[in-house]
Amino acid sequence: MEAPIPELGRFAEPALLILVSLSDGPKHGYAIMTDVEAGTGRPMGPGTLYGALARLERRGLVEALAPVDRRRPYRLTGQGATILAEQLRDLAEFAQFGLRRLNQVPK
Amino acid sequence: MRRVLLRCYPAAWRARYADEFEALLDERPLGPFDVADVLLGALDAHLHLRGASTATDVGRGFLMSIRIGGYAAVAGGILWFLGFLTAQFGPDGTDPIGLWTMVAGTAGILVALVGLSAVQARRFPKLIWGAFALPMLGTVTSISGMVAMQVVGDEPFIGDISGWAAWAIGSLTLIAGSGLFAAASWRTRVLSRPGLGLLGAAALVLLLISPGILGLAPWLPPVEVGFLVVLVLFAAGWVLLGVGVLRSDSVAIVPAAGAS
Repeated sequence: MEAPIPELGRFAEPALLILVSLSDGPKHGYAIMTDVEAGTGRPMGPGTLYGALARLERRGLVEALAPVDRRRPYRLTGQGATILAEQLRDLAEFAQFGLRRLNQVPK
Repeated sequence: MRRVLLRCYPAAWRARYADEFEALLDERPLGPFDVADVLLGALDAHLHLRGASTATDVGRGFLMSIRIGGYAAVAGGILWFLGFLTAQFGPDGTDPIGLWTMVAGTAGILVALVGLSAVQARRFPKLIWGAFALPMLGTVTSISGMVAMQVVGDEPFIGDISGWAAWAIGSLTLIAGSGLFAAASWRTRVLSRPGLGLLGAAALVLLLISPGILGLAPWLPPVEVGFLVVLVLFAAGWVLLGVGVLRSDSVAIVPAAGAS
């Protein structure tokens, strides 16, 4: 399985969750946090969120929009959407691979 | 609290993200998990921004030494003091949590010594590495003694030396070496002088009264009055030195040998 979100170290997983969160439209930081928590059942801390957001923005995978009050929404870029799709396909293939080994693939 | 947390981030990061980040922190009550997460994020931002803004590998390594040395000095000073307070060193045994806290603090001071020596040694290699040797020996001996206290108790672990004796000798060596390191660093003018002055003065006083306190010199009176205060000042010297390094941009632009 390749790593389509390269060189993010410990921020790789939070970055993937953020990209998924932004895949249905722009969100600001707090909305991303609550969306990720609702989707995974695990909270994402503010420091982790902005550590990952800053990296994604630098790599051009997300872009910042004009702030509304003090909240600044972010949206997925075309490149971000492409890389997210690749990453999710890889994960799906890997999940199938693991399930086949456990003989738990639905017939 | 939110303002304090924000201040932990580097200025360049705050210029870009402070407003929205503060708005995010305002959205919900901050728990211990959030505070720890924000502090880790701030540490990451410091390391990442410094590294990313430096053009060369040498420069990145130099700035990394400063950052690691600074943070290790702050953490080491605090943990060393807390460990000393809670470990209750003595023949009746030690508190393991306090002991391991002090092991962590001593290790932090060792890392700080390495990082801050590396920063200065570019221009003053003989002076700094010479002054580094004694406290390095002290930290290693002290840590060995504390680990031996946990593993073999009061039994000798090297020749006739018990863990406690190794810890006591190592700690005295660390204190003396810290004073020497402060004096050598004072001459280089690279690190913050308030921290060095406090560390050097506290080390000197501690060195004079510790043998009596530890029972290593029975002919010296056990001067306990003010011992705790001097201990605080010694730890505060390391913390102040670390904070000074982290806050001082002037340190970051000290040229390497041959660069000027």
